[in-house]
Amino acid sequence: MDSIELIREFLRDRLGVAAERVVPDAPLEELGVDSLMMLELMFEFEDRFGITLDKNMQTPKTVSEMVAAMERLRAGTP
Amino acid sequence: MEQHRVAITGLGLVSPYGGDLPDFFARLSAGESAIRHLLTDDLPRPLSIPFILCPGFDPDATLGKPLASMMDRFAQLGMAAAFAAWDDAGLPRQADGESRDTWGVTWGTALGGTLAYEKGYRELWQKGRERLSPLAVVLGMNNAANAHISIQLGLGGISMSHTVACASSAIAIGEAFRRVRSGEATIMVTGGSDVPQAYGVARAWEALRVLAPGDPETSPAACRPFAADRRGLVLGEGGAALVLENWEHAVARGATIHGEIVGYGTSSDHTHLVRPEVAGQVRALEMTLADAGLTPAGIDYVNAHGTATAEGDPVEVAALKRVFGGLAAAMPVSATKSMHGHLLGAAGAIEAIATVLALRDQVVPPTANLAGNVDPACAGVDHVTAVRRQSLRAALSSSFAFGGSNAVLAFRAVQS
Repeated sequence: MDSIELIREFLRDRLGVAAERVVPDAPLEELGVDSLMMLELMFEFEDRFGITLDKNMQTPKTVSEMVAAMERLRAGTP
Repeated sequence: MEQHRVAITGLGLVSPYGGDLPDFFARLSAGESAIRHLLTDDLPRPLSIPFILCPGFDPDATLGKPLASMMDRFAQLGMAAAFAAWDDAGLPRQADGESRDTWGVTWGTALGGTLAYEKGYRELWQKGRERLSPLAVVLGMNNAANAHISIQLGLGGISMSHTVACASSAIAIGEAFRRVRSGEATIMVTGGSDVPQAYGVARAWEALRVLAPGDPETSPAACRPFAADRRGLVLGEGGAALVLENWEHAVARGATIHGEIVGYGTSSDHTHLVRPEVAGQVRALEMTLADAGLTPAGIDYVNAHGTATAEGDPVEVAALKRVFGGLAAAMPVSATKSMHGHLLGAAGAIEAIATVLALRDQVVPPTANLAGNVDPACAGVDHVTAVRRQSLRAALSSSFAFGGSNAVLAFRAVQS
């Protein structure tokens, strides 16, 4: 599964957000991802991909920033 | 100090029958049990007990997915009940100009988010995972229900939970009542919720040998308070809420007033963790009457704690006989737990609702499974075994908890 699909699945399951709203430019906050939900989202990614997010990672603000952060980690290039 | 009258302007619950509030009281009055057999798929051995699961409660549909996903089931039940009571009170969910800075919530829960922690243990110990969701912290905390209620309704005053076993929500209601009566709060949301189907919780209650046995056929009649053949209590999940409101405030906004809460007393047996004590219960009952400015002759109905345990029921009747003296034999008493089960932290609240509706509709709901079957050790009061329509002026609702904490609430009918 690619990164944006995983974000879509997460937002649909947890927050009932329609998949078509999860586009690269969408701010995560507007999709209902507050700081608590962001922690849960990052936890889910770590779990699904067996990766560990850098504690100092800049918190992504948009879907595309989130995707980019995930892609970097999955490629092993932090 | 000036004291304010306290109106009950909102009632709401997640019904053990699955319907709405009128449906709940109609079925309760008809003596219909909501208790069913629960068979789980828990490891290593499934639960197989009479129980109350709120049928058809759909947290996503009731609360919306984003809100429901931030809550353990105990908070979902509590939030749903609080919304129902708030809507019943005719108050808008969004503040509409009037400050809500003195409005608050006191909430009862014996177990809090136990299910969230239990899920974590399963993940760690059964599934061999090493990590847990960060949300488990905010799902599991005991004050999650009252916190969500304050946030959703914009209540800026006190927000606290009361954990006092089976008296949790009676004490929460009593503390809310005192705050409105003193003028500290204009409106308080209060009540309780619990989910005793947590595997470790239900198994522990089983081991205490106080749970009534039952199979799919016998479960509806498994809880038989005051009966000669009573076998113990029946646990259940639930959420029940009341809106308590400064009387003048309620009148000024033209609210429907279901009833008046007039007294609260609480005491400790200070003798034993689980064996109830007549003297402690008498103190709570008498404190409540005094607090309400009522005499025993002014009470027309007692909604008993009545859990159907071997030890508890006779002690409760003995306490009532001590308080009501020569009036006891004619005092209508019923234990609605025979039908809605023992909801632990929601018990006091669902019974307060039953008592308020009894006064409002002038109908005494019965103790189910008791007709012709009263234990001589529980005799001496007027056990109501079938619905009764009669004039009711005021009533008491008792909650006597493990740990020896006793709480009694007094309610008065509104003169129409």
